Amino acid sequence: MVACGKLLIALNPSAASASCLSDKSASAKGVSVDPQLEHHDSSPMRTPRYLRLSTCVALFASLLLGACKPAGETATPAGPGAAAGAKSRRVAVVVSTLNNPWFVVLAETARNRARELGYEATIFDSQNDPSKESTHFDNLIASGYGAVLFNCTDAEGSIANVRRATARGIGVFCMDREIKANDAATSQILSDNYSGAVAIGEHFVEKVGESGTYAELLGLVADTNTWNRSKGFHSVVDRFPDLKMVAQQSADFDRTRAMEVLETILQAHPDIDAVFCGNDAMAMGAYQALLAARKADQVEVFGFDGADDVVRAIAEGKITATAMQFPKIMAITAAENADKFLEGERNFPQRVPVTVELVTQENVHKFGDHGRKQ
Amino acid sequence: MAGSNNESAHDSTMHQPNKSFQRALGWIVPAAAAIFLLVLFPPFHVVRRSGPGAASSGSSVASSVFEPVAFVEKFWTEQLLPAARRAPELAPILADLRRDPAAASKAHARRVGVGTTAYYFARGSGRVTAVARSRLLVEIDGAAGATVALRTGPVFGNAVRDGSGLLDLNNVPGLAEFNALSAELNRKVEESVLPSLRGASVAVGARITFAGCAEAPESVGDGPLLVIVPVKAEVGS
Repeated sequence: MVACGKLLIALNPSAASASCLSDKSASAKGVSVDPQLEHHDSSPMRTPRYLRLSTCVALFASLLLGACKPAGETATPAGPGAAAGAKSRRVAVVVSTLNNPWFVVLAETARNRARELGYEATIFDSQNDPSKESTHFDNLIASGYGAVLFNCTDAEGSIANVRRATARGIGVFCMDREIKANDAATSQILSDNYSGAVAIGEHFVEKVGESGTYAELLGLVADTNTWNRSKGFHSVVDRFPDLKMVAQQSADFDRTRAMEVLETILQAHPDIDAVFCGNDAMAMGAYQALLAARKADQVEVFGFDGADDVVRAIAEGKITATAMQFPKIMAITAAENADKFLEGERNFPQRVPVTVELVTQENVHKFGDHGRKQ
Repeated sequence: MAGSNNESAHDSTMHQPNKSFQRALGWIVPAAAAIFLLVLFPPFHVVRRSGPGAASSGSSVASSVFEPVAFVEKFWTEQLLPAARRAPELAPILADLRRDPAAASKAHARRVGVGTTAYYFARGSGRVTAVARSRLLVEIDGAAGATVALRTGPVFGNAVRDGSGLLDLNNVPGLAEFNALSAELNRKVEESVLPSLRGASVAVGARITFAGCAEAPESVGDGPLLVIVPVKAEVGS
């Protein structure tokens, strides 16, 4: 595998031009050079010509090659020597998507907290597109941002972006979604999706019982959280062999799509006892489908996220449970860590898990506004 | 002028070897300098795909193969069981829990990361007062009649992983591996500890000595104060 370090040509014009311009200045002053003597220069006056040429080549080569740092150095997270970003008063919030209200809360809370702390803060929407995310990193590095509050599009693909930023002294604080490297980001404040789904699974067995049929609506199949949630849920329900999953289909974390998918599932399996949805938008869509099929009272619906409309629906008895992810806590923690970083702090834990809590009809009164009520 | 030309020609002949040498030097010097710099500052690097510098695979920790089964086997015998023998007594914790669950949690429980979830790690003994499908109710010695439930059915959640305070997310490659540890610890409890609590000898009145982990409740009612996942249990008569 060949990894080419990014070529950062930091030309020092004064050094390079001083030696190379000597010929140009000679011509400019009208000093003529005999073409013959150019090839047979042996006089003391002409000897420095190739030396100058050599010097030019060597200097240019050293400038060019000196800019290529070894790969290991470029991957070094912001350390004492990488203080360029630390002097900035600009904070970027790079978020995977703003199409989902949950991520809007995450991004806006991070931006607002950074502004409260006295920084100029801007939100960059990656639209679930890793190439857009990469462009955002190019722009924010070039624009002199000091810290990034980052919600990645790809647990592995985003690592290179983070490394580019930290190598320039920019602090990168991951929020909610993990990048799969322990030495790239400054710190990661992570939602423990798997454990939240385990809690949902336990409650599912409690409410549905140890036998019955159910459907699962998955999120985006390329998203790691889709599978963290599904695996956590199945780590519990699969222990009960009489709980049968009759359908498992992706609805892309989308409310309308979830409604359409469940409508189709209900045609084939009209007697299901429950639906587990990989996020709350899909839970709302599933509930709408059940309402239209006049089955809302017979089928238990489980979501994930802790979105306000689902918390209200749980309180009204429409949806059975969700898992609260605390986007505001994650965003505020990330912004405050970025502030500490820009003030000079460098000692951050690489990963900080944020507990995901079960919200049920019994404890829903304690939750609201994307977290616990104060 | 003619004499001058002859002199120049003579000079040229005299300096022919010198000129060749100088011409060669004109190539050698920059080439040597360039090679030296290329060696000193290579423009690209050949790295192992799984090596520490591989950007796509993350850190050396993340790229190494993590074996939860082997990790848990070692952790169980070398760290968890010795720690269980030294765990705090349960009775004083239960007394605090009855008075004020929030204060008891602050004083005795452990938290992992950010959030309200906390776990106790304690040891105790008592008498079985009820045998249910997936739990035993045990009245704890010296706790003024307070009872706890010992889990005997399938074990889920992170009580064992997070309750002991011996495992840190930053010591494993990532969240997925940390969760795999939790699942493996739960499997280990089911395999090594729970069978002794499901035997015919475990009936109402039996005495049990145990150590285990439990999630800290926000409030307590009339029932068992804690649901404990045992990591060590001995049944007497």
